[in-house]
Amino acid sequence: MSQPRPLALTEDDREDSLALPSNWRPRRAGAALSVFAVDAVAVLIFSALSGFVFLSPQSLSNIALDSSESVLLCIGVAFLLGAGELDISIGANVILSSVVGGKTMGAFESPLAASLAGAVVCVLCGAAVGACNALIVTRLRVTSFIATLASLGIVTGVAYVITNGYNIADVPLELQSDFGVAKLADVVPYPALIALAVAVGASFLLNRTRFGLQTLALGSSREAAVRAGVRVRAKLTTLFVLAGGCAGLSGFIDLGRYASTNISGHQTDALAAIAGAVIGGTNLFGGRISVWGAVFGALLAVILQDGLVVVGLAAFYQLIAVGIVLIIAVSLREFAGSGDDPTPLSGRLMNLLRGGAA
Amino acid sequence: MHPTNPTAHTDARSPAIVAHGIRKHYGHVEALRGASLSVGLGEIVALVGDNGAGKSTLMKVMCGAVAPDAGEVVLGGGLRVEAGRFNAADAGVGVVYQDLALAPHLSVLENIYLGHESLMPGRPRWLGLLDRRAMAGEAEAALRRLGIALPTVEVPVSLLSGGQRQAVAIARAVKWARSVVLLDEPTASLGTRQADIVVELIRNVARQGLGVLLISHDMDRLKRVADRIVVMRRGAVAAEFPAASVTLAQIVEAMLGGVSTVGAAA
Repeated sequence: MSQPRPLALTEDDREDSLALPSNWRPRRAGAALSVFAVDAVAVLIFSALSGFVFLSPQSLSNIALDSSESVLLCIGVAFLLGAGELDISIGANVILSSVVGGKTMGAFESPLAASLAGAVVCVLCGAAVGACNALIVTRLRVTSFIATLASLGIVTGVAYVITNGYNIADVPLELQSDFGVAKLADVVPYPALIALAVAVGASFLLNRTRFGLQTLALGSSREAAVRAGVRVRAKLTTLFVLAGGCAGLSGFIDLGRYASTNISGHQTDALAAIAGAVIGGTNLFGGRISVWGAVFGALLAVILQDGLVVVGLAAFYQLIAVGIVLIIAVSLREFAGSGDDPTPLSGRLMNLLRGGAA
Repeated sequence: MHPTNPTAHTDARSPAIVAHGIRKHYGHVEALRGASLSVGLGEIVALVGDNGAGKSTLMKVMCGAVAPDAGEVVLGGGLRVEAGRFNAADAGVGVVYQDLALAPHLSVLENIYLGHESLMPGRPRWLGLLDRRAMAGEAEAALRRLGIALPTVEVPVSLLSGGQRQAVAIARAVKWARSVVLLDEPTASLGTRQADIVVELIRNVARQGLGVLLISHDMDRLKRVADRIVVMRRGAVAAEFPAASVTLAQIVEAMLGGVSTVGAAA
């Protein structure tokens, strides 16, 4: 085998050569860091406005507890978005899982046995709903938006049928006192620890495993993934099951926190999860996922909610604030470059000023 | 210069891939009527022909993406290519599609290894732990062997120019190919200079000992890069020429049917 003749690579004009754009730098954690910065700034502003009540360990611990469910949902949805899919049924899945889990708990005498069985059943029920979504998407070839729009209605309806519209209160109170509102070392709420553990696992899965790589490939170019031999149906099924499992776990935390189901709640959970994931830097159309961005995106919504209450505004303003943040975050990312557009910020601003698309 | 017999080799290279008597019809349309073609190891063969002559169909049959109605495709080692696109890839046939089939958000490294990921040794396989360092080293080596110098294989493909993407797609195909690489219009969407670079790249592929079969309409570059030019017409091989001595007029004449259609009866 003879030595290859070197190719003409000396030109740095990238239209003409194989040289790279000179301004490229790997930017992996950028999105998550910037959302974390926004979180921190929001906390500081609310702290300043509230005479630093908002910065107390008690208050921060509440934020962690309040965000544990949405963090789980944001992570599950971020993986689906990254693969180019969507699940708007996860809020309904939280309800159904907590209903089925709550019914299961009623069948046990011992609080510990009831809680453990409830946890397992919640996660399995959530995963089963995810598996049904996956079947509809991969076998019946219904796009995931329509498939999960349908299952949103079906799953909610099933939960109402099971409970006849009433909340289930068969939950052992020990689950609430020893888990749902309990804190490790009086600081870290147990539900938040679960969310943190899932985030660490998800981050590992995304960055270190073949599964994470192939998930991104599915969302970046489905055709490229197919031709590279990625088993699309199996991967999509796993992703829907994982997102469903996150919803099931969230349903269990719901039972633990309130010692009851909340069947009239969770109406906006799915859309809030999508918003949190996208604010965190996950691409709505696939190919890019930020697990920690999703975590901080979920936290931002809770910080806004709790913070507005602390400064004396009605919590309803939180919905407005999150909406505005979503628009600003996505718009800023369009203008600032998201890590795979070579045009530097200065060039984009110039384009903007000239009135062209940045 | 007369067209040579399509089943005879221009020299004594051992074959990388041989397609024999391939027939394929779609409904009433006969796309291939007994096409035969062989590519030697280290040889560059260009497949030309008018639109609808059957070039793309033949290539799809040769890489196992399409099952032929009759005929067979055999690799150098005696392995038969069966339809079902991954069998051909497993058997060492690399394909560079016209649309390249790269995932834009993934890095050069990730695109090269997608579907062939190296896993951490000593860890359970079901975990699927990526051995990124090993992959990066091998991907860089694979690019270097072809003379492609990227400062990093961690750059996302969306940042690359058209020529760079073509180079990455070719490097990926070569990385996993063991006998032959098929290229569909590798220079069609490129500017002059980038097309020249890709032509040089294709030469480097053949220098590594792989057979190369390419479809192209870019006659000038074909004549420069190919060892042999195979002309298809109406679903069969109409003529073959050594690229060094054939004229453009002869090729066009064969494409349009002015020359005796030796291969059509095969």
